[in-house]
Amino acid sequence: MQNRRDFLNLLCRGTILTGLAATTGVLAFRSVKGGNCELGTSCNNCKKSDSCDLPEAALFRQTVWQLDPTKCIQCGRCAENCVMSPSAVKVTHVYAMCGYCDLCGGYLKPDTKNISTAAENQLCPTSAIKRKFVEDPFYQYTIDEPLCIGCAKCVKGCGAFGNGSLQLQVRHDRCVNCNECSIARNCPSEAFSRVPANKPYLLQGIENKNGAGKIG
Amino acid sequence: MKQKIIIISAIILLFTLVAFMAKDFFFSKPDNTNPYAFDLNNIRTADTAKAVYTETQQIKTTLEEIHGIATDNSGKIYISGKDGIEVFDPSGKSSSKLKIAGIAQSISVSGNGDIFLGMQDHIEIWNTSGKQASKWASFGPDAVITSIAVKGNDVFIADAGQKVVYRCDLKGNLINKIGLKDPATGVPGFIIPSPYFDLGISKDGNLWVVNPGRHSFEKYTFDGALITTWNKASMSMEGFCGCCNPSNFAFLNDSLFVTSEKAVERVKIYNTDGTFLSIVATPDQFEAGTKGLDLAVDKKSRILVLDPVKMLIRIFEPKK
Repeated sequence: MQNRRDFLNLLCRGTILTGLAATTGVLAFRSVKGGNCELGTSCNNCKKSDSCDLPEAALFRQTVWQLDPTKCIQCGRCAENCVMSPSAVKVTHVYAMCGYCDLCGGYLKPDTKNISTAAENQLCPTSAIKRKFVEDPFYQYTIDEPLCIGCAKCVKGCGAFGNGSLQLQVRHDRCVNCNECSIARNCPSEAFSRVPANKPYLLQGIENKNGAGKIG
Repeated sequence: MKQKIIIISAIILLFTLVAFMAKDFFFSKPDNTNPYAFDLNNIRTADTAKAVYTETQQIKTTLEEIHGIATDNSGKIYISGKDGIEVFDPSGKSSSKLKIAGIAQSISVSGNGDIFLGMQDHIEIWNTSGKQASKWASFGPDAVITSIAVKGNDVFIADAGQKVVYRCDLKGNLINKIGLKDPATGVPGFIIPSPYFDLGISKDGNLWVVNPGRHSFEKYTFDGALITTWNKASMSMEGFCGCCNPSNFAFLNDSLFVTSEKAVERVKIYNTDGTFLSIVATPDQFEAGTKGLDLAVDKKSRILVLDPVKMLIRIFEPKK
């Protein structure tokens, strides 16, 4: 040590470095435990997240429920388990993927004898899919959303016989964004998750600049 | 006495009521059936007993991927795939393996033994000694060659990418295009939503092409004039299901159509006019999701099905 000034300089630097290390350590520990939350649980599983004042909870509240079509197994439970009636989950048609088929697996029952719009030929239990002739041999299929109950029959048929352009999505004009989504709780394939509210849809087969699916 | 009977009856009634409540509370199972469940398994298992063919042999391949199958006049079996062609004698024993560069999506063997390969956008001709005889120019960046048929000096090439059939000579010179939409001549145009587009030449010397989006077969002269069509769009066994089927076909006994489908994997036989005749293989005999079941028929009228998922040549013969 050359003189007292050098000694004080070294002492100050050491103190600052120690303080920085300690602060970083504490922050890291808290983030692992669940931020400032004393319970140490994720907001997704916490019943207080609706009224919690912590910034993590505020961030959580800016997310919404959504269904990942790649995980969905079209079990039909979305129709029955939602607190809304009819369900907030509805089918969405990704036109960019549609083959506009005459023999549409999402529209017609597999055992149908005639390709027509007769009610007995339609797969949808509520006739929520409308078929319209475009040009030979193409037909357009549109969803009558108030009629759709989210049963996923058409989604399964379209995926099995076609391109998979019919996909289920949680519709945020209907979803009340429950803290504990009753469909998510009963979903056998764990297809539900919280997604950022500014990117609320997870449609497959379309892209846009924000990376968020648009409802078609 | 009368009061005693009433009390005893009331007690019995009470016990009965409690027993019913207990049974209902402890022993009844909740109804977990899902009214909206859509079971597609019955489509995959239906009609299994109706198959009139049975699988008699399976031949394993050593290629990494398999895409096309063909037979020659001697009964040899050729399969094409990734980086190679494998040749089997009629008994199923591997006789040779030729190394190529790339994926041969389709294969056809001419009368003189030349092997024609559809390589995404161009044709390559190989001989049985493993040497490349020629390589044609590309049909364009959008070309997806899915089928080839050779008849005399004519080579017919199905291009799923550009939705057209090319007729070329043996040197690769384009003679004419077939199947382009033309309302004046009644040619409807090919609808090909997925890259499965097959063709073949019948014994009467005409070209048959699958129009998968219309679930139909179309018969053309070599000059491209449409002669006739038949179609069978249906989810049931008698028709072709899904958005675009059949995916592949071959001629049996020079006049019957052997067809294969995707989505509901099945192999069937149709008459020349489109009448459904019989079932060769049912969906439960294939892995769900199998696509591209290419077909060939050998000299003994055995039906050869290329199974790209199980990596097998599967041979079907009529049940005895």
